[in-house]
Amino acid sequence: MKTWITRSAFLAAMALGLAGMPAWAQGSGTFKYAEQVKLITMDPQKQSGSGVPFLRPAYESLFEKGPKGETVPLLATGYEVDGLNVNIALRKGVSFSNGEPFNAKAAAANINRGVKLGIVEGLKTVDSAEAVDEFTLRIKLKEFDPAIINTLCYTGGMMIAPAVMDDPALDRNPVGTGPYVHSKGESREGEVQVYTPNPTYWDKDKIGLARYEVWEIPDDTARLNALKTGQIDAGNWLSNPQAAIIDRTPDLKLIRVNGGLNYHVVISDREGTVVPAFADPLVRKAMALSIDREGFNKAIQFGLAAKSFQPYGPGDWAYDPSLEGVYEYDVEKAKALMAQSKFPDGFTFDMPSIPVYQSRLEALAGFFKEIGITMNIVPVEPGTLARRSRTTDFPATNLVWNTTTDPKFLALRYVYEDANYNPFKTKPSETMLALAKEGLTSVEPEVRAPAYRKMAAQLAEEAFLIFVTNAPILIGVSENTAGNPTVVYRYGEDSINLRGLKAN
Amino acid sequence: MLRLVFRRLLALAPLLFIVSVLTFSFTSLLPSDPVDLIIGDTGTQEQHEMVRERLGLNQPIVVRYVQWLGRAVRGDLGNSFFNSVSVTGAVMQRLPVTLSLTAVSALIAIIVGIAAGVAAALRPRSWIDRLATVGATIGQAIPNFWFGLLLVAIFAVNLRWFPATGFTPISVSPWDWLRSVTLPAVALGLSSSAAIARQVRSAMVGVLQQDYIRAARAQGLSARRVILKHALTNAMVPVVAVLSFQITVLLGGALIVEQVFAINGLGTLAITAVRQQDIPMIQGLVLVMVGLVVIVQLATDVIYGFLNPKARPS
Repeated sequence: MKTWITRSAFLAAMALGLAGMPAWAQGSGTFKYAEQVKLITMDPQKQSGSGVPFLRPAYESLFEKGPKGETVPLLATGYEVDGLNVNIALRKGVSFSNGEPFNAKAAAANINRGVKLGIVEGLKTVDSAEAVDEFTLRIKLKEFDPAIINTLCYTGGMMIAPAVMDDPALDRNPVGTGPYVHSKGESREGEVQVYTPNPTYWDKDKIGLARYEVWEIPDDTARLNALKTGQIDAGNWLSNPQAAIIDRTPDLKLIRVNGGLNYHVVISDREGTVVPAFADPLVRKAMALSIDREGFNKAIQFGLAAKSFQPYGPGDWAYDPSLEGVYEYDVEKAKALMAQSKFPDGFTFDMPSIPVYQSRLEALAGFFKEIGITMNIVPVEPGTLARRSRTTDFPATNLVWNTTTDPKFLALRYVYEDANYNPFKTKPSETMLALAKEGLTSVEPEVRAPAYRKMAAQLAEEAFLIFVTNAPILIGVSENTAGNPTVVYRYGEDSINLRGLKAN
Repeated sequence: MLRLVFRRLLALAPLLFIVSVLTFSFTSLLPSDPVDLIIGDTGTQEQHEMVRERLGLNQPIVVRYVQWLGRAVRGDLGNSFFNSVSVTGAVMQRLPVTLSLTAVSALIAIIVGIAAGVAAALRPRSWIDRLATVGATIGQAIPNFWFGLLLVAIFAVNLRWFPATGFTPISVSPWDWLRSVTLPAVALGLSSSAAIARQVRSAMVGVLQQDYIRAARAQGLSARRVILKHALTNAMVPVVAVLSFQITVLLGGALIVEQVFAINGLGTLAITAVRQQDIPMIQGLVLVMVGLVVIVQLATDVIYGFLNPKARPS
């Protein structure tokens, strides 16, 4: 009897176990991530700013960044550049979560939609895309673009199921090929977006969670409290007091991810149309030398940033270590340069400010005052700084530059005569123009790097972009997350790679 | 009384109209442009114009307002400028959250305020009175967001008794709802309880010196009966007027406290909408908030009328 009971129990347990085992890897546990921005749209091709952590669970891009920033195929398997044609081999056996097959036709429809919408900056050089065969995509460029593969690593390369592309509700119903699917029923608008495993995912072993949640907590202190109390596993921060608290709290950890924001001053009126002094390179160099970047970092960015003298950060392929310290704080030298210039008695100019930059500008005004330059801080409506900086309203401005952006965009934004942030239409120097063009001749970073390093040196020489600090991407995590070996931070993004991520 | 309710509800329509005209005009005068946020820093002028046309922002403000009004009177407040989320849906989703928080705060304010006020009034110039007076002064002086942060630090982060952020709907779990609403409601209700305590004390001290209270005591009625039935009922008349104002204050305060506790209520929605200059969302929110305030004031007037027959409309 005892044997019979044991056997029956064993068989019942086996039967229950088999019945309960899913046909695909389901993962277990929940991982909770908190975003500092509110969700605007889940349509990657309409995404114009932050919010990528809401997209990554459901969407995959053709390529992605490897741990050192190198380009790695994801939905693609390889590429070949042939003049203005970029041929991309696509992964086979992939389908969208609505059952549609992923193939070259679907990929071409995505690229063409992105081009038509025109919001993804990196797709502006694309003329059109077409399917060469079932798994070969051809992107036709209007001009040679060495950054096209880089663009396809981010929202420009995220693939949406063609059947839902025209659905106006796509911004809240993402359908991609990603490891997780959006669970609209469990999500709460404005509070949390919930994702569950994608049963049709092509790489089932990489699904390690039963549930992934992205919480919208814009208040830095509330997000910090949520992390401290274990309500979230991780979240992103800017270089602010709350991030500094995480950095010194024993059971929390602040992860510094490669990439981030480079804060800089732009001398827009570099021909001196409104402020004649700005035409004098000695004045611009004096300004660059007058900034105590170390003090600025400690006082304004809580020691979480690093001094910056160029557009790229250490580790980036275009970074030039020889430029470190090129404008190291030296107020006496700055004063001497001002004395040599045509404006020894100083001058006054207006600088636009939004609340988040107010303290930064107050610090800079103090530094410039030391060398006789009066910077009037003029408040502008939040959300208008970028637009006002593209006009001749101000002779100078202050902006941030994402250091993982391809260097070609540096020229497009600041250098060329028709650059977005060159409102006075200043013609670039011959040297600068030649270097900007030299950087466009190849897609290979190692070929392009020398040109951009020289361009960074030339920028330092002309000093119309005064780089101040470089703040890395900061992700605050709990002790458990810090010790979780499956947590991999995406290079240059404020998100965690979900492929293979397991709960703490 | 019914006539009063009817008249007030009738007056709500022109009030909402005036408020909608003012909100529409003021938000349209803001220098920032929601299109800038939609197309991003790299958008071209052509895209800018395209999006403006899609949102109807290229039309004169009067035309836009009339179109909006035409839809609004049919119950359609439109969609957010930034996504496909309907304004009505977004507001209705968050309304119970803010109402829940406000209601619990009001309850805390009433209980604490009346208890402290009565205790102080029963023994004027005693240490209890002084303690209540000092407490009320501090309660009114402390900003509720700061008090909220203090509560989080002690009861959520250190003691782990309550969650630090978020809100659980009562329909999901009554226990979790209570845990999630307690700290924000206490933070929000503090200053109102102080205001109510002051009002109750002042009214009760006056009432307790009235002849009919002395008569009730002389008749041998118990102290509890004299205080609760005779004194407090009469002292409540001015308190109700304060309460009406305090509930409006609580609704406004909820907008700030929601940020501290990351609660997804009307306040969080309002702040996001204003930051993005999401005009349809701002319009919808302002109308709902105005409607709420009018309803609260109407309810107060009705209660006031029941407590004080002299105040009833003839």
